[in-house]
Amino acid sequence: MRYKKIITDFFILMALTTNISFIVSPNPYELVITVAANLAATILKIGEGRVLSTEMLASSLVADLHLIPALFIYFIGDQVEAVGLAQGALAANVISVVISIIETVLSAFTEEEE
Amino acid sequence: MRKFRIRKKKREPKLIEIYERRLIEALRELRIPLLMLHFSITVGTIGYMILSGGDFINSFYMTIITIGTIGYGEIVEGSDTPVGRVFTSFLALMGIGTFMTSVTVIIRIFFKENIINLYRAIRMLREIENLKDHYIICGYDKTSAWLAQTLKKRGIEFVVIESREEAMKYLQEHNIKYFIMEEPYKRSVLFSAGIKNAKGMVVNLGNDALNIAVIATARLIRPSKEEFYIYSFASTDGTAQKLEELGANKALVPDKLLATRLAAYIFHTSSAFISDLFDRIAFGEETDIDILELKVEAGSPLVGKKLKEMDLRKALKVTVIAIRKPEGDLNVTITGETKVEEGDTLIIFGQPKNLKKAERVLLEGIS
Repeated sequence: MRYKKIITDFFILMALTTNISFIVSPNPYELVITVAANLAATILKIGEGRVLSTEMLASSLVADLHLIPALFIYFIGDQVEAVGLAQGALAANVISVVISIIETVLSAFTEEEE
Repeated sequence: MRKFRIRKKKREPKLIEIYERRLIEALRELRIPLLMLHFSITVGTIGYMILSGGDFINSFYMTIITIGTIGYGEIVEGSDTPVGRVFTSFLALMGIGTFMTSVTVIIRIFFKENIINLYRAIRMLREIENLKDHYIICGYDKTSAWLAQTLKKRGIEFVVIESREEAMKYLQEHNIKYFIMEEPYKRSVLFSAGIKNAKGMVVNLGNDALNIAVIATARLIRPSKEEFYIYSFASTDGTAQKLEELGANKALVPDKLLATRLAAYIFHTSSAFISDLFDRIAFGEETDIDILELKVEAGSPLVGKKLKEMDLRKALKVTVIAIRKPEGDLNVTITGETKVEEGDTLIIFGQPKNLKKAERVLLEGIS
């Protein structure tokens, strides 16, 4: 069992699920946890030398750059705008999860070949 | 059941790929300290948010000033309560250590792994990939340094390959634009130096065995002696001959070369200026004057023309000083009436920029 992959995939999924739950019911704690999960996923993707690692890191950075401003905007008072930004981050997080699945499938084939 | 398989082509990794992998590995070490830092900040922020009833900005600020040992005070609502103080105490115990360790580790990784140098090397390799008609110099000693200086003066691009760490200092001191700190006999290194697009190579590793290894590797990649020139140094005449048989276009014995040049001075003491001038032109030291050999091919518009008709002196500011006939004879008594014939080689004298223009004009037949 690859523990590193479990942790990385956990945070990638966590980023997506918390992001959805914030959009469904905007809540300050939910937003902070979303940002924290996204940042953790980004950090874990640094230095992942896999096939689509650059795309994964890029999508994660996009999500961060939506969510961090959303966090400040939310607490300044514009909740509608913050939810809008979180929806943008959601698109990036969905892409991130899709890339992660592709990576897993590709690595399974490569391992079989080896 | 049929299984799908992705066939992985086994190929030698490029040097740039190896460096990129090293950079990724170095960056990967940043993950743990960054995660530790991230964890402390998240725990602190959420903790203070719960205490204050959801005040994010002040909670984040309080966390930073606590773990960063700034400690301006209990600015978050609820942090001055007994529960708040217990939380702050635990956060400080956990966070200050984490903060200090993380920052120290991050700085250490940047210096230990020499991430900046790796990044510079990758950028240099990318630039080398775009070079064309350049030269590769294997080995950087005093002779190579002089060679590099001369090539630089002529605006010829070159890549130095050197494996000795101590040479790095000189490469930087001499402001060498492109260099690769690797063993030059490796195929991947030669590919990274752009051997596929290079015009030639100078092998000067100070050791005949190493020179042979590099020449053999290079010749296997670029087999044609007419398309890729290899010049090498050899310790003896015998080795020079072997190197030429192995693939070098010319192998020089430095001691012999020096002796021959000195002898030339001794033989021409009465015409020192002119022999010195030709010498300097031949050795590329006279940058104001140069000699060009231009072969007149069949069908060239120059065939059958008299030199005075071309009037190169006036039109292009260059002078034809001799004509070499196809059979090898050199005609030095040319006049304006001398006719250019097919297969002749014109020996033209002039300033490098005018010679370049003349070459272009005469070859393309533009007048």
